[in-house]
Amino acid sequence: MQLKSIICSILIMSFSLAGCIGNETDFSDECENGTLDILTYDILALSTEMVDKFVTESGYCVNFIKEDDSGGILDKMMLTKENPVADLMIGLDNTYLQTALANNLLEETSYTSNSGYQNITQTALEPYSGSMAVPFDMGPVCLNYDERFVDDENVSTPTSLWNLTGEDWRGKLTFPSPITSSPGRAFLVATIDYFESDDDPDTDAFDWWKAIRDNDAIFTSGWTESYETHYTGGYGEYTDGYIGDAHLTVSYCQSPGVEAFYAGNYTHSTSITLPKTTFQQVEYTGIINGAQDVDAAEAFIEYLLSTEVNSNMPVNNLMYSVLEGQNLPETDGYKYHSDIPEENSDIEISRINQEMTSWLENWQSATD
Amino acid sequence: MLNPSQHRNVIVSAQWGTIIAFCALTILPLGYAIFRLTDVTGMTVFSSMEKFFSDDDTLTALEFTLLEAAISTLFTLLIGLPIAWYLGRYKWRNIRMIRAILSVPFVTPSIIVAMGFLMLIDPGGLLDSIGIDLRLETGVIGDMARVTGWENPGHFIALIAAHVWFNLSLVMRFIEPTLATLDRTWEEQIRFLPAGRNKILRIKNLWLPLLAPAALCSACLCFIFSFSSFALVKWLTPNQDNLETLMAKSGGSAGIYNYRIDTSEVVLSTSMVQLLILSIAIIYTARVQKKHSTIHSIVTENSHQVANKSPNKLALITVIGAITYAVLPLILVLISSIRIRDARSNDHYYSFEAWIEAWNGSYSATAIPDALTNSLIYCITTLIVALPVGYIISSTIARLEGENKQNTARFVEFLSMIPLALSAVMIGLGILIGVLKWAPDLFSWAILPAVPHIIITTPFVVRIMLPAIRSLEPQYHEQAMLLGLSPAKAWWHGRIALLRAPIIVSAALTMAFSLGEFGASWILVRSGSWDSLSVLVDQLMGRPKFDPLIQPMAMAAAATLMFLTFILFLIAERFRHTDEGSGF
Repeated sequence: MQLKSIICSILIMSFSLAGCIGNETDFSDECENGTLDILTYDILALSTEMVDKFVTESGYCVNFIKEDDSGGILDKMMLTKENPVADLMIGLDNTYLQTALANNLLEETSYTSNSGYQNITQTALEPYSGSMAVPFDMGPVCLNYDERFVDDENVSTPTSLWNLTGEDWRGKLTFPSPITSSPGRAFLVATIDYFESDDDPDTDAFDWWKAIRDNDAIFTSGWTESYETHYTGGYGEYTDGYIGDAHLTVSYCQSPGVEAFYAGNYTHSTSITLPKTTFQQVEYTGIINGAQDVDAAEAFIEYLLSTEVNSNMPVNNLMYSVLEGQNLPETDGYKYHSDIPEENSDIEISRINQEMTSWLENWQSATD
Repeated sequence: MLNPSQHRNVIVSAQWGTIIAFCALTILPLGYAIFRLTDVTGMTVFSSMEKFFSDDDTLTALEFTLLEAAISTLFTLLIGLPIAWYLGRYKWRNIRMIRAILSVPFVTPSIIVAMGFLMLIDPGGLLDSIGIDLRLETGVIGDMARVTGWENPGHFIALIAAHVWFNLSLVMRFIEPTLATLDRTWEEQIRFLPAGRNKILRIKNLWLPLLAPAALCSACLCFIFSFSSFALVKWLTPNQDNLETLMAKSGGSAGIYNYRIDTSEVVLSTSMVQLLILSIAIIYTARVQKKHSTIHSIVTENSHQVANKSPNKLALITVIGAITYAVLPLILVLISSIRIRDARSNDHYYSFEAWIEAWNGSYSATAIPDALTNSLIYCITTLIVALPVGYIISSTIARLEGENKQNTARFVEFLSMIPLALSAVMIGLGILIGVLKWAPDLFSWAILPAVPHIIITTPFVVRIMLPAIRSLEPQYHEQAMLLGLSPAKAWWHGRIALLRAPIIVSAALTMAFSLGEFGASWILVRSGSWDSLSVLVDQLMGRPKFDPLIQPMAMAAAATLMFLTFILFLIAERFRHTDEGSGF
């Protein structure tokens, strides 16, 4: 009897709590047009209020299928190619997009003929301006370093990537793997262009990666491990699991701005913006080939690219908006501490697709 | 109306049908995953294993896996034996509560264990304040690294400590019941014999034969669980991979034709080697466990519950130390859910903000009540299927043993243990690929995440039910039949009623394991509102934490899961026989 009471109490309590206090995402009465399945990554560009508004206005409910990052989205799309699990993808970047296009994973969107499309900046459209995908946010990937280390240890600010192979930086560098991390992949592309454009024809990017490995760099599988666990310049030092054994990592040029935004206009992290060491990452949304509900996907693309939603990218997704006339907020030094790259690396998206496999193999050989 | 022979045939057919269905559920997705991976890579299973042993990365991962598993096992035994000894040899008030507390770690989701230990070893945390810095490896640990040239000894020690914490209850569960029920006169009598005239001889001739199978049994299981550890390795030794983390890193893109073939090769070769090693370990474990069951039943049959004396100081210190060790990481998780960093001053304050935020949820983070509902649906579904399946498999093994078909019994027992030898990543991937191939519509079936839970928890039900069913006296059932009860009533009164305790223990543990299962869910449960509590914790922890509320929110989800697990364990403990020697 006592046992029954305990079990019943737990179940009743759990279910009633779940039912009564649940979040505000139950729109069963408002799904008259069906449900839109969106394949995306874990941090989402939209606040709850914004999605709620879309649901109310469009009559479509929204179900998010979440992956860890861009690579995870592509993996899931490849794996479910014959039986897509979603209608819309949000989050493939310009290092992955071409693979998706080459494998016919996306279908045309009519948004490119929408007047809103004209409002997208040339920077965002530069890597890809076809009708299979639409950019929704962007940000330059670059090296971030801890200013405290440079000041306290009297280390010179790097003026060339080769500086990082010197003794000053031995064991103090961390890089997310380009095999498993999208910022890592973007930075690999930047290094290819950097060493192709420099004055030294005898060395290439993989010689540099080999020298970096020999300089005891720490390689991690994802951005989070590099930035949060190893890097001393970011918020990681306030989280559990922090190791803090590296003073330089790969992140975004606006990451110091984000640090300042959350910490009341203070950061000791800054970026290296040397020419060709940065890569303009652009993230896309597109309709998955074989989508059940194309109209719902089109409606969401339009909503995502509306000024109301897209102008909030810096706060909601920590990235730049792709719309003309939008910038980072000035609040708490967000814009002030976000560095502007001198010259982004310039490798065509089609070349990225053609050569990425061999670059990754060479990278693996160089860093093994 | 069926005659007894027909009735028996129906039961036997139903038993074999259930076993075949369970094996199909386990083996078919795995078989399909292997087929797909061999097809994608163009390698055979054997050539993939050859590749495994010629690749530095996989070999390094194997070395690390074997090392951490062996050392974790050794230290679990060294620490667990004295605790089991004192618990079994003295009279403790609230022994059920003590057992429940010491057992909770084993069913605590590994992601929560990882979080608890991260907080324990956090710079500025408890261990650091007494000069043991396992995370940044300064002070004594840093000196150790410099002197020995050992890379990241602090991380390795933290991992071993977490594995010991996780597996400690295994040692206790196997050894304590034998010690608790041992007739003290045996000890007294052996002192008068030449074989027991001194301590060493008594250890050799009494304690070793009695306790070695139990210790070996728990050691084997410690090894298996440490070998296939995932979340703990991922979080505590970030610079090193074991086989499971190596596979998980490649799991997402494995099995796709003409795309990232290297990842399919890693998953195929690593899973085959892991399957081989774990299969050997499981076959050996089953053998040792049989021996342990025999010895335990001899001890319990020939003994009576002795009135133990009150614990001495050393026993008190040991058991209180163990309880502190068991609850500390969990308390730290709870504290972390209400300890919030002020991003501007970097000071901390205490508030329920994270609980409120996590409870309300958003589109980017499932609300705790929703994740809790999902977890409960999965665990109840798991219970509804795994409990009867586990019971039927156990009954079949016991019946075959009774009919003297030992080889067949051993074979069925081995089949039921197969899921323990499988990587969670492989189970998840197998179901994912298999389901997509055969029945794509099932992918959107909300109960799908319960399938790996059923596969993973059934062996535990078998391990709990089997010793109890073996010890059932067939006369009870026969007498019930003689009394004129219908077959169903006779079965209920002559069998199920007598198995009430192990059934409730299995039910509670099945639910607890299902609630905490992470590896396979991580592959499958990515579909929006399907998120379970353990997946929610990982999702939040994997997110950039510029916002200081993210980590406490993860801890709030973890604390909710811990609370449920603890309640289930208390229920299990209430119905556990003190002389039970099943190990769980």
